[in-house]
Amino acid sequence: MAMLEIENLHVTADGKEIVRGLDLAVPAGEVHAIMGPNGSGKSTLAYVLAGREDYEVTEGRVRFLGRDLLAMEPEERAAAGLFLAMQYPVEIPGVSNTYFLRQAVNALRKARGEPEMKPAEFMKRLREAARTVGIREELLRRDLNADFSGGEKKRNEILQLLVLEPAFAILDETDSGLDIDALKAVARAVNGLRGPERGFLVITHYQRLLEFIVPDRVHVMVEGRIVRSGGKELARELEERGYEPFLREAA
Amino acid sequence: MVAARHRAPATALVRLGETRLAHADAGALAGVRREAWRRFLETGIPTTRVEDWKYARIDALLARPFAAPGPAEPAAGTLAAAFAGGPRARRLILANGRVLAGPSHVGGLPPGMRVLSLAEAIARFPERVAEVLAEVPDPGPFTDLNTALAEDGAWIELEEGVRPEVPLQLLFVAVGEPSAVMAHPRVVVRLGAGARLHLIESHLAEGAGHVLTNLVLQVRLDEGAELVHEKLQAAEGGHALLARTSVRLATGARLRDRVATVGGDFVRNELDVRLEGEGGEALMAGLYLPRDREQVDTLVRVHHHAPRCHSDQFYKGVVEDRARAAFAGRITVHPGAQDTDAYQQNRNLLLSDEAEVDAKPELEIFADEVRCSHGATVGGLDEAALFYLRTRGIGRAAAEALLTYAFAGEVVTRFDDPELAAQLRRAILARVPGGGMLDPEGLVA
Ligand SMILES: Nc1ncnc2c1ncn2[C@@H]1O[C@H](COP(=O)(O)OP(=O)(O)O)[C@@H](O)[C@H]1O
Ligand SMILES: [Mg+2]
Repeated sequence: MAMLEIENLHVTADGKEIVRGLDLAVPAGEVHAIMGPNGSGKSTLAYVLAGREDYEVTEGRVRFLGRDLLAMEPEERAAAGLFLAMQYPVEIPGVSNTYFLRQAVNALRKARGEPEMKPAEFMKRLREAARTVGIREELLRRDLNADFSGGEKKRNEILQLLVLEPAFAILDETDSGLDIDALKAVARAVNGLRGPERGFLVITHYQRLLEFIVPDRVHVMVEGRIVRSGGKELARELEERGYEPFLREAA
Repeated sequence: MVAARHRAPATALVRLGETRLAHADAGALAGVRREAWRRFLETGIPTTRVEDWKYARIDALLARPFAAPGPAEPAAGTLAAAFAGGPRARRLILANGRVLAGPSHVGGLPPGMRVLSLAEAIARFPERVAEVLAEVPDPGPFTDLNTALAEDGAWIELEEGVRPEVPLQLLFVAVGEPSAVMAHPRVVVRLGAGARLHLIESHLAEGAGHVLTNLVLQVRLDEGAELVHEKLQAAEGGHALLARTSVRLATGARLRDRVATVGGDFVRNELDVRLEGEGGEALMAGLYLPRDREQVDTLVRVHHHAPRCHSDQFYKGVVEDRARAAFAGRITVHPGAQDTDAYQQNRNLLLSDEAEVDAKPELEIFADEVRCSHGATVGGLDEAALFYLRTRGIGRAAAEALLTYAFAGEVVTRFDDPELAAQLRRAILARVPGGGMLDPEGLVA
């Protein structure tokens, strides 16, 4: 059984159907990529999986590690091991990056019946993660994402990924707006976490990231559906031919 | 007869006042008091139909059968919990408006600094007291009432260039009594040219009851003088506080005024700032966090009379339950006050459907080359931020508490005294729903 199983998912927002019958299964130990043109519903899918409330699931089901994901609160999904690196991370003035992440670590531990992490251990892990993703220490003390540059916000999402060590991570266009060094840092972090127990869903617009995070499967998403799936070579094909042929198929 | 939309003061209050005045001072001070009393009776108590009192049920509050306060002795522990300003701070403690000589400590002041109880100042130089009490601009009925009836308070004078290293704390304790009581403490602060004072004003309560404190703080800052005034109001238990602060600034004088209201059935903060000399600066910030059925009224009046002055108002509110808050801020740039910078921001977070906030910013500009801005917002917690925190495993209640704390924390960071800031932080955590779920360690906003 796959770690994440999506069956015939339909999602609407403001009365408009955005995800229109999507099927997808990601087994443990694999990295799957979703590629698709802007507006095809990739972020909507990611948000729905994370539990955002302003979308309505009208049909279908999602199982995560055998559980009914859609029936869970966002924090329950996180406790179950799901993580979303957002395309547009939210700025939270007044809450320091470090404080936030320590609360998150301990909330997850508490939900799993584990004791709190010792402050020294937490700081060690945080500093190591910061080094891996190339985040300055000063940024750890600053308010969460407030006045961070676009690149810093993306790196900060991956910092959280490293510290929280989720079983399954969705990366929503983490690569957009990143220079090549940042891209490599992100890939290094993700590749370091890859293992037989973990799954990844990497959403991207470009093939570039997939040169560094080599996926097991690539899915093409157009107008709310997966229209084609294949191996990693599909990414290159898309890069050469563009989404045009798929758009025509969908129409 | 009283003024339009005003109500005649209740008989109990009038009788109390007349009795007090009959036994009071002689000479000029008696004259000033009678004149203020006459004005108070003539004006009466504002009803909610008076614009500046639109949201305040002050007439009901004043209709209580007030008795003269008895001797009040708060417990040492109650007081110590509110000590701020560091181990060497000087402190004047007042219970129901009267100075408690025992626990107060205002000895060993630097030369040129004088801190007396108002009662002592009246005994020693009544003519000067009379003159100073009469000089508050636009007094209004409650300042008049205070002028007529103030028996005690503080007289704080710093001569030219005097800059004490440690803060001075004024600690006001409302001690619940069997009947409703009123106190009218008066604080006079005068800083000579280039003098500097860090004044901490704390309000707390011991025991439930109906103590109404009608405080007037009047400040004069001479050329280049600097006052840091930090006020923490945490008087829970049925008490009410009317606090009028009046500050006049001469050339190049500076004011930093901070206020946080985290307790009190009814609290009214009036701040009247007059920039009378060139290049003055007034930086004001405040936080109100009423809950249950508490009410907090903030009224700020900033007058730019001279050119090249700078004023900034930054007020935030978190309103819970069935509490009410009102903020009215007015900036007046008078003719001749060119090159003025005047800003005002009021942001409110409503945490319940039954809570209410009324925000009214006002600008009156009669000069050229003025940079002014003002804005008020009222809203709930940011859903996107809540979702973000929850996706990281932080439960809804804790996430809400964290965001609420963060909203309020922006004002906490503007407090200078670390002890006062810590007290405020604790009070916020105790008031914010779910605040107990937050780890206070590292939560230093
Ligand atoms: N909350 C929402 N309300 C209304 N429309 C939305 C909402 N979120 C996304 N959409 C619309 O759904 C479509 C897909 O958006 P999105 O999921 O962001 O696509 P992608 O991430 O693939 O670029 C777009 O047309 C977008 O405008
Ligand atoms: Mg997107």
